[in-house]
Amino acid sequence: MCKGIHMSKERGGSLIFLAAGIYGLIFSIQLPMGRWNQPGPAVFPLGLSVLLCIFGISWFIQGKGQGEKKETASLRGFIQKFTTPIKIVGLTAAFILTFELLGYLLASTMYLFVLFLWVSRYRLWTALVLAIAFGAGSWFFFEKLLATPLPKGFLSS
Amino acid sequence: MDVLSNLFNGFQTALTFQNIYLCFIGCLWGTVVGVLPGIGPLAGITLLIPATFGMDATGAIIMLAGIYYGAMYGGSTTSILMNIPGESASVVTCIDGYQMTRKGRGGAALFIAAWGSWIGGTLSIVGLMFLAPFLANFAVKFGPPEMFALLLIAFILLGSLGKGSFFKTVPMILLGLLIGTIGMDPLTGTMRFTHGIKDLYDGIGFIPVAMGAFGIGEILTSTEESLVRFVSKVKMRELLPNREELRASWGPIFRGTGLGFLIGLLPGSAHVLSSFVSYTLEKRLAKRPEEFGTGRVEGVAGPETANNAASESAMIPFLGLGIPTGPAPAVMMIALLIHGVRPGPLFISEQPQVFWGLIASMYIGNVILIILNLPLVGLFVNLLRVPFRILFPVILLICLVGTYSLNSSVVELVILLFSGVLGYIFRKLDFDIAPFILAMIIGPTLEMAFRQSLMRSAGSFSIFFKSPIACTLIVLSCLLFIWNIFRAVRPKKAWEKALEEGE
Repeated sequence: MCKGIHMSKERGGSLIFLAAGIYGLIFSIQLPMGRWNQPGPAVFPLGLSVLLCIFGISWFIQGKGQGEKKETASLRGFIQKFTTPIKIVGLTAAFILTFELLGYLLASTMYLFVLFLWVSRYRLWTALVLAIAFGAGSWFFFEKLLATPLPKGFLSS
Repeated sequence: MDVLSNLFNGFQTALTFQNIYLCFIGCLWGTVVGVLPGIGPLAGITLLIPATFGMDATGAIIMLAGIYYGAMYGGSTTSILMNIPGESASVVTCIDGYQMTRKGRGGAALFIAAWGSWIGGTLSIVGLMFLAPFLANFAVKFGPPEMFALLLIAFILLGSLGKGSFFKTVPMILLGLLIGTIGMDPLTGTMRFTHGIKDLYDGIGFIPVAMGAFGIGEILTSTEESLVRFVSKVKMRELLPNREELRASWGPIFRGTGLGFLIGLLPGSAHVLSSFVSYTLEKRLAKRPEEFGTGRVEGVAGPETANNAASESAMIPFLGLGIPTGPAPAVMMIALLIHGVRPGPLFISEQPQVFWGLIASMYIGNVILIILNLPLVGLFVNLLRVPFRILFPVILLICLVGTYSLNSSVVELVILLFSGVLGYIFRKLDFDIAPFILAMIIGPTLEMAFRQSLMRSAGSFSIFFKSPIACTLIVLSCLLFIWNIFRAVRPKKAWEKALEEGE
């Protein structure tokens, strides 16, 4: 059974600032502080991290009593709402991880094919034709016209 | 007269076949990205940066600047014909522009928008021509304390004038400043937050972050929305406004020019703010303000002129001081740095052919844009018939390839995707991402100025108050900070609520 999530937008943002502030604090105190007449590399990031933590905590506290309606949602409802962006991020991550191995031409065509089929919801053959057209077209545009060095993957051997 | 002779030399640089061609490509691409909802001028500029690698600095900046001010023209097309702003600065144009279309005066609205944009843009370039060199000469006298004070007030202004409240914008600025510290410390050579990853030794790349936050972030947001579009048709003969419309538009056009020019000098979303302020002003000055929202030509002329004037005048602090006041000038600065050109107080004196070539090309670009946006408006409207579900995968792929082409680094692709997710999350949480990007870019300069000042003064903070310029700017910063606290506490005025809702 999923519990409801009580989270205002300000609270959501505050968590990001707090996380960044804590990260900055942990790693900047390991850097040299220097002296007053020669401030070291730690001074600026440390000061910023402290301020981020302060803002993070204050927004988290303030976010509790904001005028806007509190969003209460189950985890399943949350995922359903953001299905398309999650799919796009997942596919893009897969592309990034595989494109040097497979080569740009193959990886881009497969990436586009899955996007057109699964996200844009085109029919199989339409998605395939569009993927080949744009994949090959982009390869030609970047590799040949703009002379951008793109990985050839296992096709280079 | 120095200015005129420099401008003449600038035209000699700009009127080469290659530079006219690049100006045309920039204006065309800028109009396209302005017309297409879901991709803005920032994404448009970053996508073409890799294409500039084989060009000289003059050609590169001519093309990229063309995209920036071209997008301001293009954004009004969808606002007027479809009630969908193609670009954030054209949001307010929807209000009366679409109503004019419903009355059968869409063509006239397009004409007035393009005409006002041309006048505002051209007059703003005249101001840029005189003010940028003056500012640069003044700023040459700046040392580290003055530069620190100037950037401090720039950040506080950015927080004051950005989207949302000051205290919502400040943590975004702090986050950007923190991210800007990643990499090698330029003064001591110490690595900060790199965790042994070699690709981070030179810091986080601004282009993957900007492209991710604005390009991928916008796409992730747009794919949530329904994209049913009804595109109104416009015939050529319907383009001309009648006498009454022309007469009614002159006042807003000239007021919009002045307003946009001044607001464009300020950090933040100047082109968005200028269009809202212009609309509010025109409504207040109108004899029958209740008619605004029903298709008043003043509601199109003023805002469209103001946003174009603001986009041109935003180049003044960017070129003259080396301080980009918006995300698009910030990315243009990165592009110039890639070509070994550093905007700032010495830029105009050391690279006059780049500066004056750019100024001259902006005059040419504004002429190209009025040709593209009037007789050829039908072509751009047809772009809107291309389904977004075909466009967005292609745009994603271009973002990925564009980022990879910079340094052939998979780490930068990961940064691109991460920034896209972060940009999307911040959009959903109603936090403005532009101050984050600006802070990332300008932050290292702020830190350097601060540390160098303390090194010069043997650790004494009095160095910031011994200089009259630095002292004045710091005092102004403090007053502005106090004013922002007061503004956060008092109830919002009606126009402030309207501006927030529009954004």
